[in-house]
Amino acid sequence: MSNDHLIEARQIVKNYDDFRAVDGVDFAVKPGECFGFLGPNGAGKSTLMKMIYCFSPRGGGELSIFGLDPDKSPAEIKNRMGVVAQTDNLDEDVTVTQNLQIYGGFFGIERTELNAKIKELLAFMALEAKADSGIRELSGGMKRRLVIARALLNEPDLIILDEPTTGLDPQVRHLIWAKLRELKAQGVTILLTTHYMEEAHELCDRLLVLDKGKVLAMGKPEELVKNSLPAYVLELPASQKDQITLSGSLQIELHGDKLFLFAAAPSELEKVAVQFKGQFRIRTTGLEDLFLKLTGRDLHESE
Amino acid sequence: MNPNKTRKIPSFFHLVGAVWYRHYRVYQNHFFTNSFPTVIEPLILMLSFGWGLAMAVGSMDGVDYLSFIAPGQAMMAAVYTSAFEESYGTYFRMMVDHNYDAMLSTPINVTEVFWGELLYTGTKGAFFSLVVVLVLSCFGIIHSFWGLLVPVVGFFTAIAFGSLGLFAARLVKNINQFNFFITGVVSPLILFSGTFFSIDKMPPYAAVIAKVLPLYFFIDVSRMLTTGRFNSDLYIALPYILIVPMVMGHFAVKAMYKKMIQ
Ligand SMILES: Nc1ncnc2c1ncn2[C@@H]1O[C@H](COP(=O)(O)OP(=O)(O)O)[C@@H](O)[C@H]1O
Ligand SMILES: [Mg+2]
Repeated sequence: MSNDHLIEARQIVKNYDDFRAVDGVDFAVKPGECFGFLGPNGAGKSTLMKMIYCFSPRGGGELSIFGLDPDKSPAEIKNRMGVVAQTDNLDEDVTVTQNLQIYGGFFGIERTELNAKIKELLAFMALEAKADSGIRELSGGMKRRLVIARALLNEPDLIILDEPTTGLDPQVRHLIWAKLRELKAQGVTILLTTHYMEEAHELCDRLLVLDKGKVLAMGKPEELVKNSLPAYVLELPASQKDQITLSGSLQIELHGDKLFLFAAAPSELEKVAVQFKGQFRIRTTGLEDLFLKLTGRDLHESE
Repeated sequence: MNPNKTRKIPSFFHLVGAVWYRHYRVYQNHFFTNSFPTVIEPLILMLSFGWGLAMAVGSMDGVDYLSFIAPGQAMMAAVYTSAFEESYGTYFRMMVDHNYDAMLSTPINVTEVFWGELLYTGTKGAFFSLVVVLVLSCFGIIHSFWGLLVPVVGFFTAIAFGSLGLFAARLVKNINQFNFFITGVVSPLILFSGTFFSIDKMPPYAAVIAKVLPLYFFIDVSRMLTTGRFNSDLYIALPYILIVPMVMGHFAVKAMYKKMIQ
């Protein structure tokens, strides 16, 4: 496999008994890139990540990380990688600092270096005030930030985050985004999964849209949208379906109780919008629309 | 961060030690409180047997009955702490707290995780059996300074029963099934391994089986240490208690590998 990719996956597969959770996925991540997996629950995002962070052996295909095979060199790979799993897995019975000390020991980081590193990372994640707090005293957002800080102890070249901001309030989410952008600026390669279109847009250079274990689309967020959908959309209640007169060039999609009319120019949609006296606004299409089109379901409905 | 810095992968022994240290740090609050029942239980047993059974039995294998059962008390402490730690404890770390997920996303692999655990459980077994020996010595039923070596035997006993606990954790479908392990495996082993009566009292074939099963020789050696009366059994018992726990540990770790890696 080539050396210019940090992660390279070819036709990787994962079976749980008879169930195929990941079904022939191809992708490659370049050094310094932020790459995102987007997909509804059960799409196979976490399964794909577990194969990359050497937790779960792949069922087939080829996979290389740092040019190494996870089946043959898991310790070498994990030594250079930081992992933030979907479920927080802190040691609840000890303090914030002790959590980091214990975890640093797993990388063999020498004591004085480790303590300096812990100070630095607590500051980086705005957790200094919590250094001696117990884990049970932390909010969900603080726990998440601590897990991220922990994943940075070994100064990883690649950090893998499985739904880093799911369930967190907007402030924390923005703080985490800012920190991930800082890491990216330092040259750290980032691989993340998300449910949030906004997050994908804010952070990811490239996206892979996954559903039922298969790749539906891959590319830069804007290009993905541009290449698969017209530029403008008008959203109407599905109950209005029979009351509108449609011109031939409109593209129509029905999702739940909503009707989506797409067109390359806003003027085509205005003809429909005037029928409703401007009650419904015309907007530009985004990732969310793409997602609906690709998976045929609403992300938030599938949660 | 410096992405070009290369960090050396810690050695196997360092990683096993790091897991041991994790358990020690995380559970140290419970370490001493948990030893409390371990101290109380043999005390109650001594009182009850001292008043009742010991009078009726008189002596067993040439020592008074309380001195006969003393080493078994120390081993029972090691057996229970390790059997629980590696069955229920492992189950909680796996299914509830997801601690293994955290450890396994570092250079640590399944082998280091569970050898680290077994080493920790061995340490606990040593500590608990030491506490019991010290308590029982107040009753004047520890007759030799060799008794201070009982914790060493306790260490290996705990590794053997910790390994059994891991096998149980590998096999159970839900947490209730651990009852079968405790009542079906651990308790019978305790009852038929020369803990409360000499296995010479059993039919010869049963005595042979009892000797092969993993508790008899640990108690046998402990008894030589607490009474100071050594016999030729030692030549078989000593290699047995050193080697068998390691072999059991080896297979238990392998079994956990199959459970963890899906
Ligand atoms: N250990 C497992 N055993 C059996 N099925 C699993 C296991 N882990 C995940 N799955 C199944 O694989 C599919 C993909 O799961 P997952 O990768 O967690 O999805 P996502 O992270 O995209 O929500 C789901 O249908 C899930 O039920
Ligand atoms: Mg997931």
